[in-house]
Amino acid sequence: MIDKLKGLAFPALVFWLLCLVINSFMGYEMPSIIGKLTLALVFGSLIFYIFKMRLFSYITQRVLESAFTLFAIATLTFLLLRVLPGGPFDQEKTLPPEVMANIAKKYNLDAPMYVQYFDYMKGVVTFDFGESYKYIGRPITDILVESIPASIELGIYSLILAFLMGIPSGVIAASKHNKFGDRILMFFAISGVALPVFVVAPALILLFCYKLGWLPAALWSGPQYYILPVLALGTRPAATIARLTRASVLEVIASDYIRTARSKGLSNSVVLFKHVLKNSLIPVLTYSGPLVAGLLSGSFVVELIFAIPGMAKHFVQSVSNRDYPLIMGVTLLYSALLIISNLIVDILYSYFDPRIQLS
Amino acid sequence: MKLGLMLMIVGALFASSCTKKQSTQYGLKNEETLKINITTEPPSLDWSKSTDTTSALIQDNIMEGMVEYNFEDPDLGLKPALAKEWNSTNKAQTWTFTLRDNVKWNDGVPFTAQHIVDGWERLLNPTTASEYAYFLYGVKNASKYSRGEIKDFSQVGVKVNKKGQLVVELEGPQSYFPYLLTHHCTYPIRLDVIKKFGEKWTSPENIVTLGAYNLKIWEHDKAIVLERNDSYYSTPAKTKNILAYMIPQVSTAITLFETGKIDVQANLPSAELKVLKKKKEYKESGILSLYYYGMNTKKPPFDNINVRKAVAHAIDRKEITTMLDGGQRPMTSWVPPGMFGFDSNKGAKFDPSKAKEFLAKAGFKDPSKLPKIDLAYNTNEDHKRIAENVQAQLKRNLGITVEIKNEEWKSYLGKLKSDTPHIYRMGWVADFPDPDNFLNLMTSYSDNNHTNWGNNAFDDLIKRAVSVDKKDDRRELYAKAQQILTEDEVPVIPIYSGVSHILVNERVKNYPMNVMGRRKFKGVVLK
Repeated sequence: MIDKLKGLAFPALVFWLLCLVINSFMGYEMPSIIGKLTLALVFGSLIFYIFKMRLFSYITQRVLESAFTLFAIATLTFLLLRVLPGGPFDQEKTLPPEVMANIAKKYNLDAPMYVQYFDYMKGVVTFDFGESYKYIGRPITDILVESIPASIELGIYSLILAFLMGIPSGVIAASKHNKFGDRILMFFAISGVALPVFVVAPALILLFCYKLGWLPAALWSGPQYYILPVLALGTRPAATIARLTRASVLEVIASDYIRTARSKGLSNSVVLFKHVLKNSLIPVLTYSGPLVAGLLSGSFVVELIFAIPGMAKHFVQSVSNRDYPLIMGVTLLYSALLIISNLIVDILYSYFDPRIQLS
Repeated sequence: MKLGLMLMIVGALFASSCTKKQSTQYGLKNEETLKINITTEPPSLDWSKSTDTTSALIQDNIMEGMVEYNFEDPDLGLKPALAKEWNSTNKAQTWTFTLRDNVKWNDGVPFTAQHIVDGWERLLNPTTASEYAYFLYGVKNASKYSRGEIKDFSQVGVKVNKKGQLVVELEGPQSYFPYLLTHHCTYPIRLDVIKKFGEKWTSPENIVTLGAYNLKIWEHDKAIVLERNDSYYSTPAKTKNILAYMIPQVSTAITLFETGKIDVQANLPSAELKVLKKKKEYKESGILSLYYYGMNTKKPPFDNINVRKAVAHAIDRKEITTMLDGGQRPMTSWVPPGMFGFDSNKGAKFDPSKAKEFLAKAGFKDPSKLPKIDLAYNTNEDHKRIAENVQAQLKRNLGITVEIKNEEWKSYLGKLKSDTPHIYRMGWVADFPDPDNFLNLMTSYSDNNHTNWGNNAFDDLIKRAVSVDKKDDRRELYAKAQQILTEDEVPVIPIYSGVSHILVNERVKNYPMNVMGRRKFKGVVLK
């Protein structure tokens, strides 16, 4: 009985998260306590898993490595920004020197470089990135906290779409290897990979908003507003996942234990979805690490075209504005997301394939 | 399975405890709401600190200055706003403003002249580090205060007298001074509010204003809602709400315009103007602005005055504006059309034979003897089209080869300061509608003059002109200055003055279109 419950723990967690996502997609705002509880649940179970599998020293090592990586990224970004030509307050109408001096003083830009660096590093450690130069008086943490939710929503919906479309089509394609179904699915998959977002998104708007008038073209405020951006962002990873799954399933299908399962008389679908699939997900999982980080931090093109108040634009605009604090903020946030999602993916490896030993 | 069922019940339960998110309309009635697109998040609504046009658009609707443009006046004069009347004594060096006494802030506090003094103190205070502090450097001791050389603000030339009037003493005569007071950086402020809320004083729940509209909602990166201020001192706004979306992508915004989701879309892409111009909703209006090429007069061969003249005479501005096809007005003078002091006869006119003569006179009878010439612009589709056109014209009309180079905006600005290219693109939009705002750019002491050119006679004319009261005398001085700049010395080549293109839904009447690009919505009527 207890073993049965244990086996159910992971699917149950996934199910719970799906519930939350569907709620949010339908345009309901969660009470913040539920969000916090869920986060605690996810990290709690992760930590439980880490202890259970005795991964503690492995995790410590990875965290230390990550800290060093982040430190290196922070330093490099800081230096590169100072090398970049053109300063944050250069503009069409040149400012008089006394005004420039006051601004430099306010933002500590007149201090020697090493002082600026140490002040800045102190800020990084305490999660205080200072105030934006462009959005005068707004702390970077406020800007990020306000713009992340839309990006995360968009990212999660697209991610789910990508998995829901990608994995089944990959499995089906593999099971119909080289037959018509395979061909047609892979035709769509290759188109999906080949078509860039900046073509797909305007095409979707043209069709669904302009010609058919079924869906709104932009603004991010409810289920009907989510559909087009999620489609635009999700199809490409869906296509990639479909191709990865197909290749991997084909490989696993040929292995001995699958032949054993079949010879036991199990039905085709049980073999495919119970025995083959779980072991075929390793390449998809590898791909998911950077994908999750990429999708959660938003897509510049999709957010721009559909006017979504997310954080992706800051990646581009902060650089053209030379908004140093904001550049540092988004760079470190993205790096941290990437490192964390890769770490989680590595831990999940051992869940999906117990042969993989983490240590 | 049981577990799944349980979870589903929990999920449903908590869904019912959730609240629905805000809709895009914010519950506003369509017939009472003007829906516009301001493209981006306004960087700051703090009117002492912001410097961009998006913030200014919101500020101009929630706040007011002492005076306002009179767009009905062909010479673009001023009309009273917070000030009832004003006059100058001592040759335009001392200005006295009598303020209205029936103005109240939207929290009920009566407006006084001290609120203006507070605003100016904050603008000039070095710790505010406002980019527009220099706007008031004409006021006595203002720049010293801004540099921190004077700590006591009472030494700065702005006071409230016993009658409650605002008295401003300037460093020297400035006949255009009242025009500066149309700008948001000179608006009054409420120090008590700013002290109480710190940097957060501009959020809707904290901000205190006195304009025709109140700031009701500000959802960052998404939308701003303004609502009619019922305690406004003058005729109340005709349309109850302004809903300003922030939709960055112009093609998306046009789709929203065409499906009726927004009423107004400005900043139309020049490549699509041909199609959009045919729409009945299309409108355009001139803007007091200037698109020009500057030349580095210290970099050979442009140190040679005749080479500069040759290039200036070899460019047909009309060809460029015809190519752009957006209603831009070709110009050879420095002061743009629509502004006092404009004279279309000024400047180096297109004349290929004259251009060739000048080039020969410069010693380059054979144009291939010229050193390599760079023409630089900041990366942008329109700038590129213009640069390529000029490149072709110079080849065709003068036989000289120009290499065009582009750089990203901030790098480009850095380059103009450190190593100005032979020919560079720049623009200017009027801060206030006076020729001084344009001609001052090219004085030897201007930070915006990247040409390395300086001329004492020109500097003197500009300095003298601001102290002259009589309009005709001023006009004459500016004519002389333009002659030096665009005909005798030619460090710059004016190309055209700009236009704003806009789509306005037919249900919107009285949409403000003017040469200063000022968008005050209080007169807008929805049908």
